[in-house]
Amino acid sequence: MASDNFLQQYEKSEVRTAWIFIAPLLLVVGIFVLVPVLGTFYTSLFLDVSYLPEQFVGLRNYTDLLSSPDFWQALRFTLAYTVAAVTLEAFFGVMFALLLNEVFPGRGLLRVVILIPWAIPTIVSARTWQLIYEYTYGIMNYLVVNSGLVSERINWLGTEFGAFSALVLADVWKTTPFVVLILLAGLQAIPEDIYQQAKVDGAGLFRRFYKITLPMLMPVLVISLIFRTIDSLRMFDLVYVLTGGGPGGSTRTLSYLGFEAFANDNFGMGSTVSVVTFVVAFAITLVYLKAGKFSEQLK
Amino acid sequence: MTREEIIRSCLIFATGLFLLAFTLGPFIWMIWISLADRADFLVTGQVEYSLSNYRQVLTAHSLHFLDYLSNSLWISTITAIIVTLFSSMAAYAVSRMRFPGRSVVPLLILAMSMFPQISIVGYLFEMFSKAGLINSHMALILPYIAWTIPIALWINMSYFTQIPLDLDKAALVDGASRMKVLYKIIFPLALPGIFSSALLVFIACFNEFLFAIMLTIDYTAQTLPVGIALFQGLHGEIPWGNLMAASAIASVPLVILTLIFQRYIVAGLMGGAVKG
Amino acid sequence: MNATKITIKSLAKSFVTFRGKVDVLKSIDLEIEPGEFFVLLGPSGCGKSTLLNLLAGLEKPSGGELYFDQELVADSVGKFSGPFERDISMVFQSYALYPHMTVEGNIAFPLTNLPQVPSPKVMQAKVKEAATLLQIDHLLDRKPAELSGGQRQRVAIGRAIVRNPKVCLMDEPLSNLDAKLRNEMRAHLKDLQKKLGVTTIYVTHDQLEAMTLGHRIAIMNNGVLQQVGTPVEIYRAPINQFVARFIGSPTMNMLTGDLNEENGSLYLQADTLKIKLPTETACKLKPKNLKKITLGVRPERLYVITEGEQNLALPVNVIENVGPEFLIYSFHKQGQIVVRTPDEPVGDSLCLALDAGHLHLFDDQGARINL
Repeated sequence: MASDNFLQQYEKSEVRTAWIFIAPLLLVVGIFVLVPVLGTFYTSLFLDVSYLPEQFVGLRNYTDLLSSPDFWQALRFTLAYTVAAVTLEAFFGVMFALLLNEVFPGRGLLRVVILIPWAIPTIVSARTWQLIYEYTYGIMNYLVVNSGLVSERINWLGTEFGAFSALVLADVWKTTPFVVLILLAGLQAIPEDIYQQAKVDGAGLFRRFYKITLPMLMPVLVISLIFRTIDSLRMFDLVYVLTGGGPGGSTRTLSYLGFEAFANDNFGMGSTVSVVTFVVAFAITLVYLKAGKFSEQLK
Repeated sequence: MTREEIIRSCLIFATGLFLLAFTLGPFIWMIWISLADRADFLVTGQVEYSLSNYRQVLTAHSLHFLDYLSNSLWISTITAIIVTLFSSMAAYAVSRMRFPGRSVVPLLILAMSMFPQISIVGYLFEMFSKAGLINSHMALILPYIAWTIPIALWINMSYFTQIPLDLDKAALVDGASRMKVLYKIIFPLALPGIFSSALLVFIACFNEFLFAIMLTIDYTAQTLPVGIALFQGLHGEIPWGNLMAASAIASVPLVILTLIFQRYIVAGLMGGAVKG
Repeated sequence: MNATKITIKSLAKSFVTFRGKVDVLKSIDLEIEPGEFFVLLGPSGCGKSTLLNLLAGLEKPSGGELYFDQELVADSVGKFSGPFERDISMVFQSYALYPHMTVEGNIAFPLTNLPQVPSPKVMQAKVKEAATLLQIDHLLDRKPAELSGGQRQRVAIGRAIVRNPKVCLMDEPLSNLDAKLRNEMRAHLKDLQKKLGVTTIYVTHDQLEAMTLGHRIAIMNNGVLQQVGTPVEIYRAPINQFVARFIGSPTMNMLTGDLNEENGSLYLQADTLKIKLPTETACKLKPKNLKKITLGVRPERLYVITEGEQNLALPVNVIENVGPEFLIYSFHKQGQIVVRTPDEPVGDSLCLALDAGHLHLFDDQGARINL
């Protein structure tokens, strides 16, 4: 008789083979992602400082964290940094993608060149930017002073605003190529005959851009920005090299705050910061998905 | 030329020039300083160019540059190989076999990749301390595998699903086992995709910093990014020439890889991004 | 000769999804004789490909049993042998050639999977033999991408016959070819099956292929077997309206209406059209006391007459000259009526006669009324 059992429709040896194929992946991810994540949550409930015995403190780490000005400063900075960086990346991303989608001599070269910032390790680029921002002999000050934009050298990494701008610029340089690549693919998917139809209908260059290109590019743009947002919210390496969280702790991201706690052997607090970082990133992703109703398209 | 064509040409020229300056500027500056004997020549105006920075970086044992480089190459290569193996097996099962859970597994794995590194690394440190793995290659290879395998899975899945299912059926009818179907039929046909996922994994590991700085202590396991981040030179003042030479050497393999395999990298990023 | 009998007992297949259960096959019973060329015919989605996959061992039945000769190869309880254990081979609609292997590699692939892999020499000989039979022995070094559609088709068949399977399954193998090549391959395939004598099950949605190739045809719809029989049986006596419409081109004309008796004759009133049934038919139909029926006539069984007793008259709307004959279309509320005639019609209406021996009557359930 035909059976209604859900599992009965599968062939046993096929199912077994399938799970054997998946097992290594699940095992690795389970041990080195899932267990540490759960472990981090567990540790966040303890007073776990290396020179003291471990002690269960419930949510005290969380209340401590939420009442510390350092945390709110880091949260504010992380969000401001993310908004600034992602906005600029969207702007430059659209600009460069539009350029690379046009037909002109040298396009092939530019399409390759755009990948260079992406390929250079973040730490290497951070060190390079550090030199560029050097107060006395960095090229940034050389350029802004000699071009007459400002009269005095700017202390890029030593002032709050300077450090903020320096970090954002370095991040935009490094990650815009990623946005460009995704947008370029989106542009190439727009059929050419729509543009020809629009030309026939009398739409000019700029009108074609904001009536056809931009709306049709929107889904891809949002997807790429979600990626960039998730990434920016956990930013760490640029801060480590360029500012070390300074000046005066003004450029600590949430990840950096967690790292500092770990580096000071305060594992309980470090874990708490980590859990909160994840929750923040997760919440913002959800908001993004809800707002753009892109949950269907991601499937 | 119509007015619109003139505007278009001007825009292309201006944006193109800006793109070149924007993307290449810092890179050129890095190379420039690495060739100069002093970093402050913009102020002092005196400079001589030579390869001596490169020579020092590659020969001074106390800088351990070659140790960092070989650590990075080993760790990234081994990770890429293992991730390719595991992820293509899993991608095969998920994209081409019928079993309960085939739609849940990829989403679960994707969800795992949502956790920021910082929420893993603290506990990993404690795990590896107990296991005595801190400051070993293993301490980085293991988390790197787990950290990069989700994206590799999704890229491979997007390539595997493009291969007609009839090929698997035909091979099964012809008597091949699932394993044989994977390595005789699917693997060769999806090779470009598998290659791009392996390349992206390699690059991600080569660039990774947070795990590397938390889980290693000295040059026996530290990777290039850590070496360069902690590079202090021998006395006080940052030796920019040496540092930029080291940076250039660290970047060159990746830039060359990227330029040669541009097509695969773009395809891989697309595969991961559009599906993920 | 290596011919196998296949017995299918109340075979069923359903898929369980989150939306509920979908029955793809509902209790199929069939016996396929050794060495038979058996065709499964039906529209897409009727379950014929699922049945083929069940026979192949690519899917597992939800109910029923499947025997190759006396041996049980699959049931719903737990017995399940894979395709290779069943010793079947299969030709796919897409050919499913391995694009990275040469023609020789493709044909040899099943041999490399045998428990005892033959020596390279034996293997080469077998591949050569199959290739010669199919006239592709000069292409052995090519890759599939370098071949024409017809050549790929032959490679796929070569791969299917190289290890002398017990049963050969074919899933719409000709539908990717152009019309001329398809006719050529059809004849070639029939000849090949006769030579090899292997039990062959052939899935298609093309009734012409089914009629010309099959010793017997099974027509399926909605997962249910409608009729099994030789091409002639099915053409002459379709068991229901579905089969009647599916077999034959142009399609059988169908008119549904009420039966009225006037002056001793029986009339079918199909909307505006009044049809006088032949006396022989009327006599047999009267005792059954039916109110509503459907009358089916094939286009070539509507005879154009100029004198004598006419059964119905039709306006002429369109005339197509298709070479040896004419197709005359008359548009009617219930669809078009087609008449096939060797002579060009004159005037704008037709007088038609019916032949009692070539009428198909169906009741209001669509089932054939046997007179």
